[in-house]
Amino acid sequence: MDAFYASVEQRDKPALRGKPVAVFGDPDKRGVVAAASYEARAFGVRSAIPMARAVRLCPDLIIVRPDFARYRTASQAVFAIFRVVTPLVEPLSLDEAYLDVTENSWGEPLGRVVAERLKAEIRKSTGLTASAGVAPNKFLAKIASAWKKPDGLTVIAPARVEMFLQKLPVDALWGVGPVTASRLRERGIERLVDIRAADTEVLREAVGSSADWLRRLADGIDDRRVEPNREVKSSGTENTYSQDLTDIYEIRAEIDEMARSAAAWLERKELLCRTVTIKVRYNDFTTITRSHSKAPATRNAEEIAARAVSLLERTDAATRPVRLLGVSVHNLEDPAAPFSPEGPVLPFDP
Amino acid sequence: MELVVRKTDLLRELQLFQGIVERKNTIPILANVLLEANGAEVKMLATDLEVGLRSKCTATVSKGGSLTLPAKKLYEIIKALPETDVRIEEDKGGVKVAADRFDSRMQTLPREDFPTLPEASGSYSVTLSRDVLRQMVSKTQFAITGEDTRYFLNGALFIQRPESMSLVSTDGHRLALITVSREKGNNKLKVDEDRVILPRKTLLELGRLLAETDGDIQYERGENHLFFELGGRLLISRMIDGQFPAFERVIPKGHDKRVEFDRDRLTSAVKRVALLSNERSRAVKFQMDNGKVEIASSSPEFGEAKEILMVDYAAAPVTICFNAQYVLDFLGVVETDTVSLEFKDEMSQAVLKPIGADGYDYTYVIMPMRI
Repeated sequence: MDAFYASVEQRDKPALRGKPVAVFGDPDKRGVVAAASYEARAFGVRSAIPMARAVRLCPDLIIVRPDFARYRTASQAVFAIFRVVTPLVEPLSLDEAYLDVTENSWGEPLGRVVAERLKAEIRKSTGLTASAGVAPNKFLAKIASAWKKPDGLTVIAPARVEMFLQKLPVDALWGVGPVTASRLRERGIERLVDIRAADTEVLREAVGSSADWLRRLADGIDDRRVEPNREVKSSGTENTYSQDLTDIYEIRAEIDEMARSAAAWLERKELLCRTVTIKVRYNDFTTITRSHSKAPATRNAEEIAARAVSLLERTDAATRPVRLLGVSVHNLEDPAAPFSPEGPVLPFDP
Repeated sequence: MELVVRKTDLLRELQLFQGIVERKNTIPILANVLLEANGAEVKMLATDLEVGLRSKCTATVSKGGSLTLPAKKLYEIIKALPETDVRIEEDKGGVKVAADRFDSRMQTLPREDFPTLPEASGSYSVTLSRDVLRQMVSKTQFAITGEDTRYFLNGALFIQRPESMSLVSTDGHRLALITVSREKGNNKLKVDEDRVILPRKTLLELGRLLAETDGDIQYERGENHLFFELGGRLLISRMIDGQFPAFERVIPKGHDKRVEFDRDRLTSAVKRVALLSNERSRAVKFQMDNGKVEIASSSPEFGEAKEILMVDYAAAPVTICFNAQYVLDFLGVVETDTVSLEFKDEMSQAVLKPIGADGYDYTYVIMPMRI
């Protein structure tokens, strides 16, 4: 979906249309941009940049608080359309998914036509625009989907894969961030295809164990299947504070609130968790995590909050000023599933 | 420092350090091995701060001293060299490693950065038989959880009593307990019972060292560390500070139903049937009925499989479902011809045991899956 959160806001609030809009986590705090409308992007406002910088770049920026309930409704409508076409839908986020349309319920032989029809259906049913990439594999489809935005459609036919690969810089790859990209550039690897000629040792030095994977991508090879039931492994929230926290009561209250929101997420997803993890970043940017696991799994908000708060005792929070706090839940269990992944736990507790 | 050492001698030791050095590279010096040349030998030391290994080999030392080198690279180089003498010497801020016509200069890290490891006192040591310890390690090591979940500590519990020794491990879903009796006079145990939790990595490295060693092991428990001396090498391990789960509680007593299996037949049957088990749960059902056990599986994607084993069983029919891997892990480490399965119903934990095991008692508890 194109500028998803921002587009939903513009759709629902006509006053925002045609204006630079950014959706934020919390504008009072050291938040970052969650989504920027295309009008805002013209000023250089991008998602994940700090709010303060966004406002400097675009003084007329309209800052909107997020309303995830509305985004989720829009997302569900979009995914419902996907699932009409094929059951092989692998969600990447609320607004992005891989679809394997080799076989599709429309009986369309051409991926391009499926994509065109999907885009039209999405627009008709949600009033939002989407961009699509059609390619022989996941990695190329992902890059193609971002090639032309908004309302774009990029098709990489098998015969044109090589031509397309030749154009790609290394950082076009998902998972190659600025740091990895600069490490590769230092070694003379600018384009994805430069990886083909790179020495294995040099590559390994730059990207470690991803070397073989990158090499396959450089040849345009990606055999990963579209996995419709990819499991969620964890969920969590974190907050960066505009003023470092030094009051232990305030820190506890923050952790308590985040733990409760994680419990609420478990409730919505009808899952249980065995592990609760907290994250603390001190004012010197050292970041630590502390975990507590316990069986049986739970989604009881009181219990999860109490466990998260007591984990604070194993940190220097408050003794050292705290810049960021986070709470997440892991080792999830689906009580409705026929088996939990490793089976039930031995009854150690009386 | 300047020395000459036989390639094979050095390689044999360096290989043992490969599992010890830090892999995550958080502290660069921990990827290095410390070499200390003195007299007619070169001593080696590496650690990831959890487990450390001290070792040595004979060398011709022309200039004593010490330095550090990346353990992995050094091993790769020595391994790639022909069967010959290797020269190692300090060289303008680097280290020269040369043999025959091969010449290299490796980067080093300051010796001063290398952590200091505790020393064994030499007193209060206990002699452990190599074969016994090896047996104990191999039969428990696989059941330690790989995840760091606190609740199920990432280690195994080592219990010493005047008359016996036990090693217990669990990942929460299954538990392995081996107990070996010992002669009373053969130890200097000051207390009735000595309990300590060994990290998973310690067990792994201990297993590796035991395979390379002959002769007994000297074991000592220090203040915060454990020492295993074997074949001139010293394994130093941190001990895990924590409460091991109350394992006695999950070992069932008085299970009234029991089946004996031929180990090979059971292993083959479970392996075959598991091929069509649910890929996520790896569940196989054991359906105990009059005179037979049917082992069955089904996978939503691929289909289903079953195999019948004729056994001596006359109690009421019971169906129990296990993770096939947990069963195979047990069958893979026991060597007796026959094994037994003791159980009560489909919900209670079941016990697998080797029948006629020589010199040790081995109990393997599995929590069944819901059917």
